[in-house]
Amino acid sequence: MPEVSNPSESTFPTLPVEPVFAINKRAGAKLPDLRGKEGVLFLLGIAVFWQIVSTFAHFSGKYLFPSPLETLKALWQSLPELFTGTLYSFAVLIPSHLLAVIVGVAWGLMVGTSSRLNRMFSPFARFASPVPPTIYIPYAIALLPTFRTAAGFVIFVGAFWPVFLNTATGAASLPQRYQDNARILGLKKGEYLWRIALPASLPHIFSGISVGLVFAFIMLTVAELFGASKGLGRFVQFYADYADYPRMVAGILYTGVIVLLSMELLEQIKKRLLFWWK
Amino acid sequence: MSTAVVQTTRTAPQPGLRAEGVVFAYHGVKVLEDIDLTIEEGEFVCLLGPSGCGKTTLLRLLAGLETADSGDLFWKGQRIVGPSLERGVVFQDYSLFPWMTLVQNISLALSKSHPEMSARWRLNLADEYLEMVGLAGAGRKYPSTLSGGMQQRGAIARTLALGSPVLLMDEPFGALDPVNRAKLQEVVLSVWAQPRKTVVFVTHDVEEAIYLADRVVILGSSPGRVLEELPVPFARPRLRRTIVSSPEFIALREQIAEIFQQDVIRRIESESVLSGSGEGI
Repeated sequence: MPEVSNPSESTFPTLPVEPVFAINKRAGAKLPDLRGKEGVLFLLGIAVFWQIVSTFAHFSGKYLFPSPLETLKALWQSLPELFTGTLYSFAVLIPSHLLAVIVGVAWGLMVGTSSRLNRMFSPFARFASPVPPTIYIPYAIALLPTFRTAAGFVIFVGAFWPVFLNTATGAASLPQRYQDNARILGLKKGEYLWRIALPASLPHIFSGISVGLVFAFIMLTVAELFGASKGLGRFVQFYADYADYPRMVAGILYTGVIVLLSMELLEQIKKRLLFWWK
Repeated sequence: MSTAVVQTTRTAPQPGLRAEGVVFAYHGVKVLEDIDLTIEEGEFVCLLGPSGCGKTTLLRLLAGLETADSGDLFWKGQRIVGPSLERGVVFQDYSLFPWMTLVQNISLALSKSHPEMSARWRLNLADEYLEMVGLAGAGRKYPSTLSGGMQQRGAIARTLALGSPVLLMDEPFGALDPVNRAKLQEVVLSVWAQPRKTVVFVTHDVEEAIYLADRVVILGSSPGRVLEELPVPFARPRLRRTIVSSPEFIALREQIAEIFQQDVIRRIESESVLSGSGEGI
């Protein structure tokens, strides 16, 4: 009888620098509920407060404090522009984030289940993962030929670490019984990674993906402030330069909604894939 | 089947499962001390003992999930050096993978025991195994939607699908209510019989052990060792109702209780004698 390789010999004892990205500390922690009248009332309260401030705010001039109505009007007028900006931003964000997820999950599963790879990669990860990814932007712009490649690169770096770290943690802390069962069934290393470690780590992986997505949006908009010709960050920067603050505030609000919707979409995907998880 | 290490010391009829002088320590604490045990092929043996007697460890050693510190374990004369499809295991906490349906769980096992089989045949065969354990029609369900008893049925079906001649069961019904436990005991007896397998069944329930086993191996604790091996005389098929109330059953149960009692007394006495030097001897 060919004896089975032992996936459990590869324990992943301690993970480097996890706290930096441990926003969703408990894997699969629920986002705050969006429904309920308390939340709606609070939002209304903010709108009223905003209206009052913008009406009586003579100290800084009306320029800097557009009223809610002005902002809504600007939002309505800018929608086509914002819409193309969204497409342009997503064309940079989605491929980079997707690549970060694929590489981060694959590498995280391998490092999390192999003590040798863990020993090899941990020192580097400990050093590189806490570096704020925004710090790479000037160099990326200097180094890479186009804005898109430079922005893509920094988004990738920003999203990669949370995905990788969460995946590696998840894969390293799988319940013993999954490993025992995999060994009893005689699963090979590749099968173990694909059929056991990947699905069993999904709660952790999704925390990593959603933290990574937040980072990706930060990196995207910051990069766009620097040198994009279109996009959400560029929209805000452009109208700030021309002191068109209603449009600028509209751009901020719109970006917030887009990020919110993206996170909500991710949450839905997670719910679908993790139906078995309690 | 490749022969990793063939033991030639015993050439006569190869016993089924064998443990020879097995010692196992965990973090410096001796869990098993000098275990010698032979389980014949086709035999149904229950390992009975209190918690902490190392019965689960012994089962894991037989499965190849752990390695003995000294001593050897054999299946049909071949040294056990790791898990193998020849020895299927049903664990106490449910063994099924929760992200797979029952059929997918069983197909995964079939892909190992019948690598040549097409996916469609695997699905058909998986349904047959489910039928064997009384889960016909539940194949598309996920484990989390099933009761504990049904999950254990599924785990048994998956182990059967491995086609293992040896079935190692680690307190598989520990978490079930008495009715489900009795039902599952019947399932185990029926799958043991056809085709005939070797079963090692770990339990701390004396009546369960007597009802199921050909032979009950009684383990004492700290460190775990074999106290006694008692053959169970009842003919098969056994009828629960007549056996449980028979004088032989009650006598056996009391004999086992007495053995445990003696072990406890012996341990208390040895501890008080050695109280000066501590207990970690």
